[in-house]
Amino acid sequence: MNAKPRTLPLSKRGMSFETFMWAFTRATALGMYGFILFGVVGALAMGAQHSMTFVEVLRWALVSNPGHVEYTNLPDITPFASMFWRLVASGMFLTAGSHGIHGVIVVLDDYLPKDNQRNWNRYLNMAMFFVVAAAGLYIIWTA
Amino acid sequence: MEVTVKIFRYNPEKDQRGNYVTYKIEADPNDRVLDVLEHIKGKEDGTLSFRRSCAHGVCGSDAMRINGRNMLACKTLVRDVGANITVEPLLGLKVAKDLIVDMGPFFDNYKKMLPYLINDNPIPADGKERLQSPEQRARFDESTKCILCAACTTSCPSFWANDEYYGPAALVTAHRFIFDSRDEGADQRLHVISETNGSVRCHTAYNCTEACPRDIHITQAIGEIKLAMVTGKLE
Repeated sequence: MNAKPRTLPLSKRGMSFETFMWAFTRATALGMYGFILFGVVGALAMGAQHSMTFVEVLRWALVSNPGHVEYTNLPDITPFASMFWRLVASGMFLTAGSHGIHGVIVVLDDYLPKDNQRNWNRYLNMAMFFVVAAAGLYIIWTA
Repeated sequence: MEVTVKIFRYNPEKDQRGNYVTYKIEADPNDRVLDVLEHIKGKEDGTLSFRRSCAHGVCGSDAMRINGRNMLACKTLVRDVGANITVEPLLGLKVAKDLIVDMGPFFDNYKKMLPYLINDNPIPADGKERLQSPEQRARFDESTKCILCAACTTSCPSFWANDEYYGPAALVTAHRFIFDSRDEGADQRLHVISETNGSVRCHTAYNCTEACPRDIHITQAIGEIKLAMVTGKLE
């Protein structure tokens, strides 16, 4: 009886682009959960330290962009514009963006039977992602 | 009870497009939809065409859309679908005549999964068989129940959108062999499945699981294949 563990090494099963992106999408989904949890806990902590209203906490929670607490009653938004929080905001933004754009590519792929159509679908959506990512990062780091 | 049966009719030699014909017949609530179709073909209209063979839910020949859902006509009772029954061919495959669809593309995808045991190792010296524990057999037990009726594949929105997608039935076949401890061809099958038209086209709509007349948890099986592609674990 064959009782040895059955595991195929990567060299035998290979890793196609499709498989990699499937795993990537799951990983980014988990990453988003992490960022959201971190953002909510971080917002509550910042709210306690700086006497934020609940509305301000909510605005800050998901994307820790200093622009989200600008024009509020907070007297000083410098702590919200630290490199740490900008990095957290960038991480959340890029993770969510890449997860979402891959979802769009996969759904459109269903309706594109030809290889060159699928390639164009990928190129156009990735180009769109890079443009949006550049604009988003510019806002996060200059706000 | 009187049953009104609306049936999709299409004769490629006469019709440009399909149309619906309605029949009113007497049926017992415990009759099967297949009995109703047999009655119509035998007593009302002999030109009606549909597939059937064993008539007991084993051969998978008479999968069709009954009141909008993929079912086996031989396993569906009139009392469960009501007095107004609409019968149509499976979606996503070309209609050959009336309720008969061209199953060629479906079986082409099935063949791509290498649906046979692959093991070039010699038979164990002390025995005549490649033995397997009950636990090892149980690992793929459910996927052996597939009768290739195509109810799952033709209920899949990803397949409707793109008939190049191998479809749930082919993936269940792959599952049956990939997780078989006697089989050595998992790498070949995973290579095929990881292609663009393989398991990544499954977006977990669960239509296949709902449509399966054998109650196979198809979406779960496809999920296990996806995990095997990433982790390599075949247990």
